[in-house]
Amino acid sequence: MEQNLGRRNNKYLAAGLVMTLLVAGVALLGVFWTPYGTTVMSASEKFHGPSLRHLFGTDNFGRDIFSRVMKGAGATILISGLVVSVSGAMGILAGAVTGYFGGILDEVMMRITDAVNGFPSVLLGLVIISVLGPGRQNVVISLVIVFTPSFIRIVRSEFIRLRDADYISRARMMGVGRLRILFVHILPNTMSTFWASVMIGFNNAILAESGMSFLGIGVQPPDATLGNMLSDAQGYLTRAPWYALAPGLTMVWIVLGFSLLGEGLRRTQT
Amino acid sequence: MIKIENLSVSFGAAEAVKNVTLEIGAGEILGVVGESGSGKSVTALTLMGLVSETARITSGRISFDKETLLEAGKPYDKALYRKFLGCRMSMVFQEPMTSLNPTKRAGRQVEEMLRLHREAWRPQGSEASGGERKRKGRELPGALTERDKAEGEDIRRRVLEIFRAVGLKDEERVYESFPHQLSGGMRQRVMIAMAAVLRPDLMVCDEPTTALDVTVQNQIIELLREINEKQKNAMLFITHDLNLARRLCHRVAVMKDGRVVETGPTEELFKNPREEYTRKLMEAVPSRMRKYGGIADSFAREYMGERPGEQIRGRGVCGEMEGPGDTERAENTEGPGDAVLEVRDLSVYYQEGSNSLFARNRKKCAVEAATFAIRRGEVLGLVGESGCGKTSLSKAILGMNRDIRGSVVHHSPHPQMIFQDPYGSLNPAKTIGWLLQEPLRARGRREASFRMSEADRRAAAYDMLRKIGLPETYYARKPAQLSGGQRQRVSIGQALITEPGLVIADEPVSALDVTIQAQIMELMQKFREEMGLSYLFISHDINVIYQMSDRIMVMKDGRIIEQGDTETVFHSPKEAYTRLLLSES
Repeated sequence: MEQNLGRRNNKYLAAGLVMTLLVAGVALLGVFWTPYGTTVMSASEKFHGPSLRHLFGTDNFGRDIFSRVMKGAGATILISGLVVSVSGAMGILAGAVTGYFGGILDEVMMRITDAVNGFPSVLLGLVIISVLGPGRQNVVISLVIVFTPSFIRIVRSEFIRLRDADYISRARMMGVGRLRILFVHILPNTMSTFWASVMIGFNNAILAESGMSFLGIGVQPPDATLGNMLSDAQGYLTRAPWYALAPGLTMVWIVLGFSLLGEGLRRTQT
Repeated sequence: MIKIENLSVSFGAAEAVKNVTLEIGAGEILGVVGESGSGKSVTALTLMGLVSETARITSGRISFDKETLLEAGKPYDKALYRKFLGCRMSMVFQEPMTSLNPTKRAGRQVEEMLRLHREAWRPQGSEASGGERKRKGRELPGALTERDKAEGEDIRRRVLEIFRAVGLKDEERVYESFPHQLSGGMRQRVMIAMAAVLRPDLMVCDEPTTALDVTVQNQIIELLREINEKQKNAMLFITHDLNLARRLCHRVAVMKDGRVVETGPTEELFKNPREEYTRKLMEAVPSRMRKYGGIADSFAREYMGERPGEQIRGRGVCGEMEGPGDTERAENTEGPGDAVLEVRDLSVYYQEGSNSLFARNRKKCAVEAATFAIRRGEVLGLVGESGCGKTSLSKAILGMNRDIRGSVVHHSPHPQMIFQDPYGSLNPAKTIGWLLQEPLRARGRREASFRMSEADRRAAAYDMLRKIGLPETYYARKPAQLSGGQRQRVSIGQALITEPGLVIADEPVSALDVTIQAQIMELMQKFREEMGLSYLFISHDINVIYQMSDRIMVMKDGRIIEQGDTETVFHSPKEAYTRLLLSES
């Protein structure tokens, strides 16, 4: 019966892996090589539909959309990955300490996260960007500020759950040091929950980054991201639908792949 | 009356119940006894039609009076079951904490039974009016008719009546109480009230007393017997506790690995069991007839008399334990030379209420002025019901609870603790080998003289694995792959690998099956002989305590009310409470 379950899980995992690896591979390739320059315009090739020459067609400046999607997906994944890694790491540190020790530090930290969570996350991100100014690293900074509290909360609640577990009491009785209890004894047991939230966080980061670029306050043109391509494309929806569809579907592809991957991982662990 | 014929139930490839045939006559109490995994609960759940959907009935049938409830190959008949469940057959579950709905008042939950099964208790004539009432209800939503009011009154009266009958004294208050406001015993009584209110022909009780304290356990058993005598209904009583089955049941069936091994009238079966397994099961039950003690006593004498030079004194592990009281360091204590632990006037407090900034905390006293000592090589048994302060006391002794007054002096290095729950006391993320090494690593980090090389630690872990009776292949396994008894072995190994002088064992066998229980107790005795260990052995089961201990302490409401030699306490208890504990098990 267990084997049965395993096989069913692997479908999620396999589908997620294939989708994610494919898009990651293409995006990685885009760092070194694209079929055309992403900023090379061509007045004679405006709005060509998808063809073998231009897989996803061309845009209003005659640029190759496939090349731009490659670069754009790379930029989006890079930014989201950075955001999730930094806020995940901060979440583990702060969540572990506040959850395990509690007390005043915990109280202060929780009120800060409450304050951050009190605003709609995208709105808060916009406000921070408007203070810092647009640009790649400012997008990262603002999204880290928005995303960290939820990671702290998740890690903290796991640590609170586990700090009174019998095996932790016993570790304390054996004279295991505090830091070792935190990061060697408790932390591994929080990882399944943590990874699940990383998967969700990553998708949210992709959507948030794209949203910012769409509004023109994220990565600035002419650099491509999925968000600013969508924004450019919206004026030509009827004339050149492939222009909006290419980055839009790519985004769906990335998010769906990651969701499946997360679900697959979650199921193998339970 | 109820016939289970040739029943087999499988989950996937695993067969949980194999060709079980049982019969329960009207007014009879049939006990089904077996260890966990023996298929007794699955049988009961199948009978009730409550077994999970992944189960397949591969053979046999279940019939109730003349009607066939369930037959292999036929789909489960929901409508038929709905007619039977509640009014003709009902069930009491093991866990009173989770089997009542926490958001509804106790009285309401029992009322629901009566409301769902009007036909079972209302006189025939008024049955039609039930339908009429429904129609009226549709016309005038929310309006209460006179008849509804009368019915409500009637239902309430019946619920209060059954509450009184199951021994809930303050029935009006219980009626209005939410489950969390009731004790475990009261909750179980509410469950029984719910199961008995419609006077069903069959009550299935699945370990109804396992989660309760012994004194409460006995009241519940008496209650079930009383209901059986008054209502003349049949009961299927499932338990792992042979003593309980013997006291309550008319007939007993012993199950093992999904099969019924033996069945017969209770006394006959207990007097001369035919099957090997039944005999083994009965021998494993701790009883006051036998005792491991012989060896242990002679050992203690020998150890203390002939090898005084090996006494380890004055390590003072709890030196860093700074309660508001004056915890002395062990170096400068007089005390008898052979004590590993001296506790004087120890009171333990705990905070009531949440730890939030805004809540005002009140201090409560969990243990009051406990004074005792444990000698080298001695097992001191601590017996008491849940909530009496046993665990608070043991944690305070190990410095886990700092809110104390009085003194705790250790004369042994590194006292360790073994917990009750084998599933919670091993870190699920680590391998057994890692777990066994961790105490050594921790100790090496604190004391330079104990630092060991990786290879030495590994060797020590393999050595311990052998001593606790597990194969070497278990080194790389994780706790999830071990059974409860095996996990408890690892816990013991973990506690003993640093060679402590004292081990506090908090209900170490309470979560285990009887045969496993006996093995673990034997293992603990073996280590005691080999290592000259002392135990503070905590249990609610006075028979287990009797078997393990040289001396006994009885604890009630945070006070130690009696202590003395095992034999003395058992044969001439001074306190009424001790007598009560003794008489009831």
